[in-house]
Amino acid sequence: MAVCIAVIAKENYPLYIRSVPTENELKFHYTVHTSLDVVEEKISAVGKALVDQRELYLGLLYPTEDYKVYGYVTNSKVKFVIVVDSSNTSLRDNEIRSMFRKLHNSFTDVMCNPFYNPGDPIQSKAFDGMVSAMMVQAC
Amino acid sequence: MSIPDYMQCAEDHQTVLVVVQPVGIVPEDQFFRIYKRIASVNQVSIRDSQRLLYIRYRHHYPPENNEWGDFQTHRKVVGLIAVTTCASAKEWPQTSDRFHGQKEVFGSTLYDSRLLVFGLQGEIAEQARTDVAFYPAYDQCEDVEKRVEDFVESIFIVLESKRLDRATDKSGDKIPLLCVPFEKKDFVGLDTDSRHYKKRCQGRMRKHVGDLCLQAGMLQDALVHYHMAVELLRSVNDFLWLGAALEGLCSASVIYHYPGGTAGKSGGRKPSIAQAADAGKRHRPGALTANGISADTSSEIGRAKNCLSPEDIIEKYKEAISYYGKYKNAGVIELEACVKAVRVLAIQKRAMEASEFLQNAVYINLGQLSEEEKIQRYSILSELYDLIGFRRKSAFFKRVAAMQCVAPTIPEPGWRACYKLLLETLPGYTLSLDPKDFCKGTHRGWAAVQMRLLHELVYASRRMGNPGLSVRHLSFLLQTMLDFLSDQEKKEVTQSLENYTSKCPGGMEVLTLPDGLKLPPVPFTKLPIVRSVKLLNLPVILRPHKVKGLLGQNMATKSPFIYSPIIIHNRGEERGKKIEFQWVQGDVCEVQLMVYNPMPFELRVENMGLLTSGVEFESLPAALSLPAESGLYPVTLVGVPRTAGNITVNGYHTSVFGVNSDCLLESLPGVKTGGCTVEVVPGLPRLQLSTSLPRSANAIQPPSGEELSSCVSVQLFNGETQKLAITLENIGTEMLETLEVTSRTVNTKVCARQLDSRCRDGLVAPALALHHHFGEKLFGEFLSWDLDEALSHFPLKPSQVVTLTVNIKVKLDFSGQENLLQDLNDDGISVTGLPISSPLRQVLKPRSDSKQVGGESGKAEYSHIKTLEAILNFRYSGGAGHVEGYYRELSLGVHLDVEPSVLFTRVSTLPATSTRQCHLLLDVFNSTEHELTISAKSNQDLVLHASECQRMAIQVDKFDFDNIPEPDEERVRFTNPKLLQEERQHAQGCEINSKLDICWTIISFPRIPPFAHLPSVRMQCINRIDTAATGMFVFLAAQVLPVRRRGRLAIDRRSTGPALKPMRLIGTGHRSRSEVVRPGSDARPRDGDVQAVSFSVVFVLLLFFFGVVVGENPAVTRHLPQTSGSRPQRSSSAPAERASRWAAMFPPRCAPPR
Repeated sequence: MAVCIAVIAKENYPLYIRSVPTENELKFHYTVHTSLDVVEEKISAVGKALVDQRELYLGLLYPTEDYKVYGYVTNSKVKFVIVVDSSNTSLRDNEIRSMFRKLHNSFTDVMCNPFYNPGDPIQSKAFDGMVSAMMVQAC
Repeated sequence: MSIPDYMQCAEDHQTVLVVVQPVGIVPEDQFFRIYKRIASVNQVSIRDSQRLLYIRYRHHYPPENNEWGDFQTHRKVVGLIAVTTCASAKEWPQTSDRFHGQKEVFGSTLYDSRLLVFGLQGEIAEQARTDVAFYPAYDQCEDVEKRVEDFVESIFIVLESKRLDRATDKSGDKIPLLCVPFEKKDFVGLDTDSRHYKKRCQGRMRKHVGDLCLQAGMLQDALVHYHMAVELLRSVNDFLWLGAALEGLCSASVIYHYPGGTAGKSGGRKPSIAQAADAGKRHRPGALTANGISADTSSEIGRAKNCLSPEDIIEKYKEAISYYGKYKNAGVIELEACVKAVRVLAIQKRAMEASEFLQNAVYINLGQLSEEEKIQRYSILSELYDLIGFRRKSAFFKRVAAMQCVAPTIPEPGWRACYKLLLETLPGYTLSLDPKDFCKGTHRGWAAVQMRLLHELVYASRRMGNPGLSVRHLSFLLQTMLDFLSDQEKKEVTQSLENYTSKCPGGMEVLTLPDGLKLPPVPFTKLPIVRSVKLLNLPVILRPHKVKGLLGQNMATKSPFIYSPIIIHNRGEERGKKIEFQWVQGDVCEVQLMVYNPMPFELRVENMGLLTSGVEFESLPAALSLPAESGLYPVTLVGVPRTAGNITVNGYHTSVFGVNSDCLLESLPGVKTGGCTVEVVPGLPRLQLSTSLPRSANAIQPPSGEELSSCVSVQLFNGETQKLAITLENIGTEMLETLEVTSRTVNTKVCARQLDSRCRDGLVAPALALHHHFGEKLFGEFLSWDLDEALSHFPLKPSQVVTLTVNIKVKLDFSGQENLLQDLNDDGISVTGLPISSPLRQVLKPRSDSKQVGGESGKAEYSHIKTLEAILNFRYSGGAGHVEGYYRELSLGVHLDVEPSVLFTRVSTLPATSTRQCHLLLDVFNSTEHELTISAKSNQDLVLHASECQRMAIQVDKFDFDNIPEPDEERVRFTNPKLLQEERQHAQGCEINSKLDICWTIISFPRIPPFAHLPSVRMQCINRIDTAATGMFVFLAAQVLPVRRRGRLAIDRRSTGPALKPMRLIGTGHRSRSEVVRPGSDARPRDGDVQAVSFSVVFVLLLFFFGVVVGENPAVTRHLPQTSGSRPQRSSSAPAERASRWAAMFPPRCAPPR
């Protein structure tokens, strides 16, 4: 379903990034990295416009030729980015939302681990497994 | 139209385009100087109208773009300024022709043209021509600007007339159809009379008039015309022109809303000009009325309504772009519209929408682009993204542009440009080239992306032909990205680094790029990683000590209190900063680093040394090779301080893979240091000590954590003297000026061992055992020397030698060794059999346990040899350090194994023939394994075989103890009586000793190697009489011994009856010992507390003996009130009987068990 899933820290460095076609990992790094511009812009716009602060889903960040990039930001300004294949038209906004929700729940579990230092790269197996499941699903 | 002008912005719509071109051969620099002067006239205020005309200059303009001039008039070249050089009048016609030829290129659209001729002056006949100006030289053309202004005014007149012409041109004449180049063929054969066609013509013309109005500075008119055009064109679905009309509307509105311009600082107008524009705008209503030209009455109605709101501008732009998008051939127009919209959005700070426009622009296909155009396009995208604050996108496109510069299809790759562009992407990837930004904690960033960029920088700089830069970037990559490199990558990176450094070694200097960027040095603090830095103290023998009592030693704490917890706290803090020990100038000092190698291969570190400050320091660099992924590995860096003072270790320097690094400790994360500042005291001499005796293998354990520099070991018989020659050599560089020698006895080793074994047995209370065995007595100092001889050679220059002879004498009391006497008293009855009765049972009776202490439990490990240990301290100083009050200490441990030699087992006296004399009868026992001879003062030698006991008689004068001085009253009062007693005994012993002067000699001495060459050494017998006396006691005590063992015997008796007791074998040791029990001993007090008995008995016997010697001395007898019956005429067995009688005075403390 997703081709790349990334978790980005508040300070905009990656905590976790994984993509399915591993041979072209760097491309996704670039994609996610540049999408941060949009994420930042959206977050600052939210602050300005005083729209519903509880809406964490940022929606489509930008479409590229092959991929669509979606964003999500937690209240602690940790960002999730999901890249999906543009050709996959079956994906609705709601499904993307539920993916983000799952991701957020799993991330919360990671943060609850007393042995995890906030700010360190995520190495949790459970998180990894959940991400893999999201990538394989309906692929 | 294929070449987009990426620099376009909305306000360009109100400019007129003038092309400035050289004609013929014009030096480039001269041309651009003139071009700049012309271009400075970019807005002209028109006389009489208060309107402003804006001019856009281009020195290069593709004619095909000019063909779109009808579509958007600002694309139309309306003026031409030609610049030419004409050396002589002869050349003039030719130049003139060229100028006309040039005019032809843009001929269809030109309003006016000018020719600036340089090099000629007044020689041309047709000087009257207004379109030609002559200047003698390029730097003599003061009125160029003036001429350009005139030229612009003439353009304005044409423009204004055209505007008026078109604007009022609604008299029903047929309006021509304006069209763009690619449309022309589409309209062939179209019905020109249809309403649709007419509307199209009208709409397009309206739009065109709007453009002209905008150019002529009539903003409101332009807006009105654009509105009308939009309506007309929308009705006929003329999308391309509708887009243009909408864009015109947007441009006019932008000009109205943002007088400062949207082009940013590069194309921005000067503020003063902006104000002028603003002023012009304000006066525009007046201008309108003044001109009186109003094609449309609607123009007067609500200007604000005509002008679009900022939000509408974007909407209209979107619409326009979507219309442009319908036409493949209008790609450039669409792209430029996008760029213009982005610039407007950037001013409005609506980055999201701007990014959408840019996203759209990225996908506009302009057909086959040349590489240069691609670079230009990516660069401008990057710039625009930067403009809207998307620095990551900006960096991405800049990097793409950089890669485009060196695309394989380009015949001459522009590595320099590529490198420059790559450097510009660094901020976007939050990558600074300063390693300091990376040393705080773990690296947080887009490592994969950053590594890629660094690799590209390395490659680009290498291709640029700047290996220094490559080395710097590669070092940076290795240092900062080490955690992210795979093992394979680590290998590759280091290999290429080594390749580069072979040409250009890396150093610590700051590299400055031509554009001013500075590349700070990259020290390899992770190759190897240093975990701790510890300054090491000098070896014990070299440590400097401060002379106590000198000023400054105890002044460190400025408090009147001897003790205060607060002071201790403060001291602790101070201690944290400064190290407590000192280094010495001129001596090799060490710093220990714990390092490890994070690389998957062996790491060779060369030239590793210390970086210090404060003191002149000679660092002695080391080279090391760390195995792959080594654990913590200690490395000692050494150096010699050359001056005195406080030295601070700031860091270390290394050379790894050909890169020299200076690593400062303060910038290293996670390094443990115990302080880095240490005091260096002035130079001190160094002594080397060698001895005539062999070194001891078993080192002496000195008390309180001292360390010994060396140790010798000697084996002696009791009473023997040995000379120990100590050679001292000054191996330092300073003069040796003072030397002090002291000695100290440490004699705990043997005792401790025995104590342990006994305590283990659970038989004895430690305190008691200790007491018993410290009863060991050493008489007098056993080390003596004469220092004066050695000191006469002082001061000792470097490499000079002095010898000191130390006499080792042992005088030990061996009388306490029961087992020795045991042998003597062995009746020969020995039974082997049952193992010893359980010690547990004895534990039940603590009293009897303690009795057995001396006799039994220690026996197992008891040897005849006693050990004495002493430490000789040499305290020396000299040179500058001596002046400062420092000294050094050497200590030599002396380990002595003393074997018993001659023992006196029994002492008695016989009256001699003379009343003034008596015979002293001594039972002498040779406990050695050698034959020896004993001689006393006046007797012949007595030969004693090994383990033989003989009696010798010595005739001595009777003497009085009175002539031994009593201690003065003062001392008597203050010292305890026991001590006083001992002192007195000692003095008396000495007196007796001097009278007897007993010596013994071992006749053959093959056993001890040092004596091998002295077959017969005469040894002074220093077993003094008091020793003899105690020896006698011990003999007596031995008689008592069986009694003391009764506890155990009683148990046996239960089974064997009360007859003569057989010996029990005590099988705990190597040697089995037999004991005799006499039936009669039952009657004796079994309270054999050894200590109690021995002290009292010794004393009494001693006095008894003295009494014997001195005869009826009242002074002595006074001390012996109970020994009234003791006479000197007693037989030799008398003391034993007496002892038992005395012992009987002590009542039994527990009933003998039956």
